[in-house]
Amino acid sequence: MVKPDAGPKPKVAFYWCASCGGCEEAVVDLAEDILTVVGAVDIVFWPVALDFKKSDVEALADGEVAVSFINGAVRTSEQEEMVELLRRKSGLVVAFGTCAHLGGIPGLANFHDRRTIFERVYLEAPSNANPRGVLPQTRSTVDGKELTLPEFHDTVRTLDQVIDVDYYLPGCAPPPDLILGAVTAILEGKLPEKGAVLAPDKSLCDTCPLNDSKPEKVSLAEFKRPHQILADPEKCYLAQGLICHGPATRSGCGERCINANMPCRGCFGPTPGVRDQGAKILSFVASIAGLEGEEKMTDEEVGRLIGQIDDPAGLFYFYSLPSSHMKRKNLST
Amino acid sequence: MGVTTTEGKPAAEDKSVQPKVLVFSCNWSTYPGLQLSRLEESGTVSEPIITMCTGRLDPELILEAFSRGAWGVFVAGCPPDECEHDGNYKTRRRILLLKKTLGQLGVLPSRLTLEWVSTGESAKLAKLVGDFTARMAQLGPQRR
Repeated sequence: MVKPDAGPKPKVAFYWCASCGGCEEAVVDLAEDILTVVGAVDIVFWPVALDFKKSDVEALADGEVAVSFINGAVRTSEQEEMVELLRRKSGLVVAFGTCAHLGGIPGLANFHDRRTIFERVYLEAPSNANPRGVLPQTRSTVDGKELTLPEFHDTVRTLDQVIDVDYYLPGCAPPPDLILGAVTAILEGKLPEKGAVLAPDKSLCDTCPLNDSKPEKVSLAEFKRPHQILADPEKCYLAQGLICHGPATRSGCGERCINANMPCRGCFGPTPGVRDQGAKILSFVASIAGLEGEEKMTDEEVGRLIGQIDDPAGLFYFYSLPSSHMKRKNLST
Repeated sequence: MGVTTTEGKPAAEDKSVQPKVLVFSCNWSTYPGLQLSRLEESGTVSEPIITMCTGRLDPELILEAFSRGAWGVFVAGCPPDECEHDGNYKTRRRILLLKKTLGQLGVLPSRLTLEWVSTGESAKLAKLVGDFTARMAQLGPQRR
């Protein structure tokens, strides 16, 4: 547990980039423990909760902030500028949550680019009324005054593709026990090696409450999607024909999705030593597919089994496309 | 904009540009054939990567190859009933799923191929690799 110290309190900053706000909520979810944290640190920047400005951060000495917790992926020039500023001002930077760690759900935008996203969002979406076809501009003049907007990049990046990151706190959003564990470790100076993911090294299957019902050998001749069946909450989802990312995902989430009767989608990222989580998921999904008499079958026949998976790239890279080897869809072919 | 060589010719038409083709080959069936085929000496294949079984070939390695500029990836494994580990069935499923995934990521699925080659079929292997390399030369490098 964090204990308030008599000396000067370490300065802490929180920032959000391309994210949903759930990571901010996760900090508040510390409940009464947040009082201990707030008692032990001096929060110098937290746009969602406190009225500090960018100029307040700029006024700090380089390295003066003990640690910055930055959530969200990096999509705009403003986010890029802010994380570079926070990096300069901070001793430690923690990539907080899946989007900062792997790209997360905003990273799925890497199947598109700025042009196709703007066309969809501002022109084609049925809820739009935009008869003049106005698209966001970095500079525009209204009533003789110049207005500016940050530049919207073609590609969503993980935090460590933009700045040096010291630690990763995974999860969509990170659970309170891991957040408190990370804050405590930082305050007590008991941190692991730089670059570590502050979560257990096991796979989700290892800690899954349904692990006992996972057969020794899973062999699926049919894949199902969660909305197609009423899943048995007491039985391993893989054994029920549902694709679950548990075998290729790090544990530590508290099995929140499993306990809500949904298979894992991989928000905690890959297990240690794996760079491309989607490739690992693809690999085990292909391994557990199986057909009787497959050795006599043609590629087309086996292809029909594989074809049941409608959107493999979207499913396997649900949370991790920007951190994958390919990083994004190649739109130039 | 197409990729061009230093002389300004489209890479696919420039015969002096060697297609970057990566060959993954099973140690037990294909590799002996690969050695016999003298493909390495011909300069068509830079260096085949030997796996203990194609079932051991991680899709992550294939994706890494494409992310690092491979024009094509050729995987050679034991024919269906000749693999001692049943790894080739898994490989077939993985490659089929990977081809579909690659298509969604903007990489032509035909840039990845799996061929069954038995021990001693060195001539067949040489032809398959040669044909694949020629197809990749036609396609040229991936445009980024």
